[in-house]
Amino acid sequence: MIVIDHVAKQFVAPRARRSAWSLRRAPAAVVKAVQDLSFSAADGRITGLLGPNGAGKTTTLRMLAGLIAPDAGRLSVDGIDVVARPRETLARMGVLSDARGLYPRLTARENIVYYGLLQGLSRDAAHARADALAQMLEMRPLLERRTDGFSQGERMKTALARALVHDPPHIVLDEPTNGLDVLATRGLRDALRHLRTPEGGAKCIVFSTHIMSEVERLCDDVVVVSHGRSVASGTVAELLARTGESDFEEAFVKLAFAQERGVAA
Amino acid sequence: MTTPSASRAALTVFAKEIIDALRDRRTLAVVLVSSVLLAPLVLIALSGFIASFEARAEKREVYVAGLEHAPSLQNYFERQTYVVKPAPANFEAQLRSSAFGDPVLRVLPDFEAALLRGESPSVEVISDSANKQAESGVARLQRLLAGYSRERASLSLALRGVSSELLEPLQVEERDLASTQTRAAQITGMLPFFVIMAVLYGALNAALDTTAGERERGSLEPLLMNPSERVALVLGKWGAVASLSMAIAVLSCFSFLPAQWLLRSDTLQALFQFGLREAWLFLVLLMPFAAALSALLMAVAIRCKSFKEAQANSTVVILGVSLLPLVTVFNQSGESPWHLWVPALAQYTLMTRVLKGEAFSATQVAVPLCVCLLLTALGIALVARMMKTAAIK
Repeated sequence: MIVIDHVAKQFVAPRARRSAWSLRRAPAAVVKAVQDLSFSAADGRITGLLGPNGAGKTTTLRMLAGLIAPDAGRLSVDGIDVVARPRETLARMGVLSDARGLYPRLTARENIVYYGLLQGLSRDAAHARADALAQMLEMRPLLERRTDGFSQGERMKTALARALVHDPPHIVLDEPTNGLDVLATRGLRDALRHLRTPEGGAKCIVFSTHIMSEVERLCDDVVVVSHGRSVASGTVAELLARTGESDFEEAFVKLAFAQERGVAA
Repeated sequence: MTTPSASRAALTVFAKEIIDALRDRRTLAVVLVSSVLLAPLVLIALSGFIASFEARAEKREVYVAGLEHAPSLQNYFERQTYVVKPAPANFEAQLRSSAFGDPVLRVLPDFEAALLRGESPSVEVISDSANKQAESGVARLQRLLAGYSRERASLSLALRGVSSELLEPLQVEERDLASTQTRAAQITGMLPFFVIMAVLYGALNAALDTTAGERERGSLEPLLMNPSERVALVLGKWGAVASLSMAIAVLSCFSFLPAQWLLRSDTLQALFQFGLREAWLFLVLLMPFAAALSALLMAVAIRCKSFKEAQANSTVVILGVSLLPLVTVFNQSGESPWHLWVPALAQYTLMTRVLKGEAFSATQVAVPLCVCLLLTALGIALVARMMKTAAIK
């Protein structure tokens, strides 16, 4: 269970000099990345964070991973506060972040086992998990190859296996289908559906995306994010009913950009 | 949901970074050739150079232009067991182009006649100051000529019944106070410099790869999403970088031992006394330096977004390490106490002393050791502090 409660985060953009020779600097620009964002993701369900580019999805997930401290609000995993006890919450989460760099001189297995050891697994357990994940993600032939020269899909699978190596009850994915082809996307979707089921561990899965079809096909719950705020949440059917639309894309545009349209009208 | 202990996390990171660095074969090969093999190679080349000087000195040959005009000079040279040879026709051009490596004595046609008349004829010693080999023979030739003059003079005086001692009211004897090791240090003085650079290049690549490289690959952010303490991660990384640097230092120091057998000059071999004791002393001085340098390079590189940017920034460190030892060259007042407080300069100073066979006290080792430990701690703390902000930018 992941609960995010009214979080906010703003960044001060680096100030640029007014001109090359001027010592005076332009006033600091404040970027409000996240203003008031709340949602909760239940166990055994896939929760999609849907929003346009720059809506604050990545910032929110980085706060959840403890990389950035929120200015306001509270984030918790299984009731444990992220800010106060970040190491405990990290141990309960597998995070596939926006940056998913691998070590090119290590094999896929070594990349996965490295994270397993850092998560506190024994070497044997880490190797066993690497084998099990390779089976699930259909990447067995890749396991003993160095990751240098992997395709986008192969990299994604390795990074996902690395994030899941400690079999976490919570899985957080930041735009996981970026750069994946149709087959790889389908494979990922199947894997996530399996992880949601009781046999797969009834994981609490949160993933962010800006692709409508992804959400329609996969998500049990949807949180629409716009301008750093969570503007609507519910199942796909509920959101369609609320907006009175039959097309989910129309419904999303109505929900996400209601403010602008209101101003324009 | 266990979180690993800090020491276990540090060990995991350490092992991974060592494997990662050792698999970078090409970089490793370049470092090994440039920093481990270079110093012995320079030493061996130098010994060849000195050996050629020695061979020339042992040859006992004198080149004379106009030999036929000076039979008495030839007689004197031959009595001194020198072989007198006529100079080649175009010896001036050859001397200028360094094709000919001996100074030439030119005798004018009326030499013997002028000598008999007591007119002190002039002879020319011809060399080129840009031709190092010929220059080294000039003093020998001049000594030979002075010997001839003295013999002529004492013979003339003896004929007139004057004691030859009147001609030499002074007996000059030279005594060189330098020990054999001090003399050798003039030649081997650059070795500490090579070893310091070896330590630097041993650390450089790994330091940049584990910080800026990790940022560039986008693997730092996922790494920080593990429930390990940041300090443990940094300690593991630093340990790997410092170990690599120290390994290169060990290889570099011990490569002088076999290199010694290959020295072609007997004199240099006798002078260059680099045994196990010297190697160990070098390592004692270099280990803390390698630790500090690794932390410093990492602290510089963690601020950089890419490997390339980090390379540009680390130039400052490289420049500092390579220029600081030069203080001893430019500073004519000799060693100052503050030298020991400056990293690189302190190690250079103390290693030079080891080569000279001079003793140094425990305090003199303790000062640079403390400076290095402080730098290491500062570097590690800085990297740990910077890592989180660095990961997301």
